[in-house]
Amino acid sequence: MAEEVKKKERPPVDPNSAKYKLGQIAAKAYSDAQAAKDRGEMVGWCSSNFPVEIPETLGLAVCYPENQAAGIAARGAGARLCDVSESDGYSNDICAYARISLAYAKIKDAPEQNMPQPDFLLCCNNICNCMIKWYENLAVELNIPLIMIDVPFNPDDTISDAEVAYVSAQFRAAVKQLEALTGKVWREERFKEVMESSCRTSRAWLAATAEAHWTPSPFNGFDLLNHMAVMVTARGKPEAVDAMETLLKEYRENHEKGTSTFRAEEKYRIMFEGIACWPWLRVTSNGMKSRGINMVTTIYADAFGFDYDSFEGMIKAYCLVPNAINLNLARDKRVKLCKANHVEGLLVHTNRSCKLWSGFMYEMSRQIGEACDIPVVSFDGDQADPRNFSEAQYDTRVQGLTEIMQARKEAV
Amino acid sequence: MRSVQELLQQLHEIAANPRARTEQYLTEGKKIVLTAPVYTPEEIIHSMGLVPMGAWGGDMQLNESKRYFPAFICSIAQSIVELGIAGAYRGASAIVIPTLCDSLKVLVENFKYGVPAIPVVPMSWPQNRVPDFGKAFTKAGCERVIRDLENITGAKYSDGALRASIKVYNAHNAAMRRLSAVLRAHPEVGAAARSDCFKSAFFMLKEEHTALIAELCDALEAQGAGEAKTTPIYISGILADSPAFNALLDEAGLSIAGDDIAAQSRQYRTDAPEDSASPLDALAEKFANMNHCSVLYDPSKSRCAFIAEEAKAAGAKGVLLVLTKFCDPEEFDNPLIRRACEAAGLPVTIIEIDRQMVNYEQARTAIETFRDMLA
Repeated sequence: MAEEVKKKERPPVDPNSAKYKLGQIAAKAYSDAQAAKDRGEMVGWCSSNFPVEIPETLGLAVCYPENQAAGIAARGAGARLCDVSESDGYSNDICAYARISLAYAKIKDAPEQNMPQPDFLLCCNNICNCMIKWYENLAVELNIPLIMIDVPFNPDDTISDAEVAYVSAQFRAAVKQLEALTGKVWREERFKEVMESSCRTSRAWLAATAEAHWTPSPFNGFDLLNHMAVMVTARGKPEAVDAMETLLKEYRENHEKGTSTFRAEEKYRIMFEGIACWPWLRVTSNGMKSRGINMVTTIYADAFGFDYDSFEGMIKAYCLVPNAINLNLARDKRVKLCKANHVEGLLVHTNRSCKLWSGFMYEMSRQIGEACDIPVVSFDGDQADPRNFSEAQYDTRVQGLTEIMQARKEAV
Repeated sequence: MRSVQELLQQLHEIAANPRARTEQYLTEGKKIVLTAPVYTPEEIIHSMGLVPMGAWGGDMQLNESKRYFPAFICSIAQSIVELGIAGAYRGASAIVIPTLCDSLKVLVENFKYGVPAIPVVPMSWPQNRVPDFGKAFTKAGCERVIRDLENITGAKYSDGALRASIKVYNAHNAAMRRLSAVLRAHPEVGAAARSDCFKSAFFMLKEEHTALIAELCDALEAQGAGEAKTTPIYISGILADSPAFNALLDEAGLSIAGDDIAAQSRQYRTDAPEDSASPLDALAEKFANMNHCSVLYDPSKSRCAFIAEEAKAAGAKGVLLVLTKFCDPEEFDNPLIRRACEAAGLPVTIIEIDRQMVNYEQARTAIETFRDMLA
């Protein structure tokens, strides 16, 4: 007779913990938007690196389709929604977040992560130009206004005055467009508060992620993938400040106590490059953890840390997000993270969905490997389409990386 | 007057052998500046006494470029680096690459490292190109190209020379628009020769190409309307220069009544005004007025209705979308273009092409089926 195995009940999450607070904020982003919609207010869909200071200052509820797509993919419905948009003629070579989002705009229901339908769209292409096309299609399909801030890819090592002037003018124009559209009023005092919150949240986030410099790291790098949602959706909110400062405090305490959220012996420390494979999160996480590999850093740490001290500084911060900069700057940011966090290997996700992120990664990862004297291994995957990932290939590649790191340790 | 056949043969030779043209200009002591897709401020290059030479890659197997690109980046970008590594662009002083799509941004960076002998001059166009702040950014981008070209080549810029070059380019635009209309009435010319007429423009100084095209149009008009029994279609996409692809159209009896191909008519729709305050203002105005293109911000997707209207006006019986594989700007537009065309009563077929393609049998089946559908 089979023995009945009772599932261990998880202890309730401490409401004063960062995990609880961050989870609440992430969930509240959706419920607040739905509540605003229910009150008859206009709700927007917003790209992840659009200046959050604008909707936050105006008091506009916005949802983030990239977060939604990641959530849907992580909960196993990526292929189902991709199928919907592919049936409408969208190529399966298009970014899977976009395919999921276009499908959701059509079917308007996905139990894995619902959110209110939009009345306007806020787009910024500092992540990729694919974003422009995706939002153009949403605007046409849903027949709603699209407000777009264009941050041109910067091929140089510095940001030109012309670029700052161009993006600043668009920022102001976007505010005027939104005031006219929604009836909300821009107040400079509120803008200052939001900037202050955004910077404080960012500083706490950057400091928390920097705690990985300790060996062993006081946290499992996969934590960052979850917490990032708050940095995307809520970094201008006071509650995000509190949650991120709590996270920082906990990581510092973990180090002092010699504990970590990485529940295994930390044998190897790597940088993970690229967006997570959301449909295969457990597989990718276990593939590392089972070998004692902690992903101690990722460019996500920098991607959503917006710290500045002036309007111009804010504009420059949005021009300097990882996908808007040239190979030199992108490489240097990663080299800095690898060195600061004593990284022993680089695992690169060649992400079928993200042409820009993956497009010059071969050369950049070669240069990072040389600069940091670490092995570099890549695997093929996708941020949201489960069909573009092979568990066997991933396992082989991670095993290969482990063996090189092990041989290097033994040679010391 | 030379015959149509002689002129088409000359255009074919130029289109098929850009290296010969490059060598000729280099021998004449001219400096070559490569221009990558989709739009570059060629008028500036021309005005500085340099020869703009189109670099849209080539049909070939990709080997060395795979060290830089993952497989899912457009093969135009990949083959530009492949050709660069192979030395096909030797003698070029620089390459101007715009950053209008993600694959082009990637090309800027990979070319820098893959082909270090040829300096990259990036051109940052604004997507919000219509408001004054957008035009100011276009001007700043052009000024940067001027500065870089002056430093790299030693050539000098002047407003007067740019004004003159703008006239040369506007005259070429007009010649190419006339060409498209004349070829519509001459389906016997065929898709392959039509492609040569457009492709050769990338490898010649525009005043030389204008003269050649004008001569061809005059010769065609002089011989009266063609009598070929073909089915007129409209084609849209980034590229349509593959000889194998064009042979398929010719074999299927499909003639091109008009196109929205980025390497063909899309280049020539918009002129720079000749009465602007400054010639750089004229280029900014031109870019602001450009539209109906997958790599230019188009929040109302006006391109879709535009294609349906153009195809109808050209007398096309159907629309063939020639999709360059992994071109996401086109991939996003295609479902909406299909919808707009079908609503206008125009059947639509999509075929995927790629610079690495060697087997066109799947395309043949699709094109023959399309032809039968239109019959």
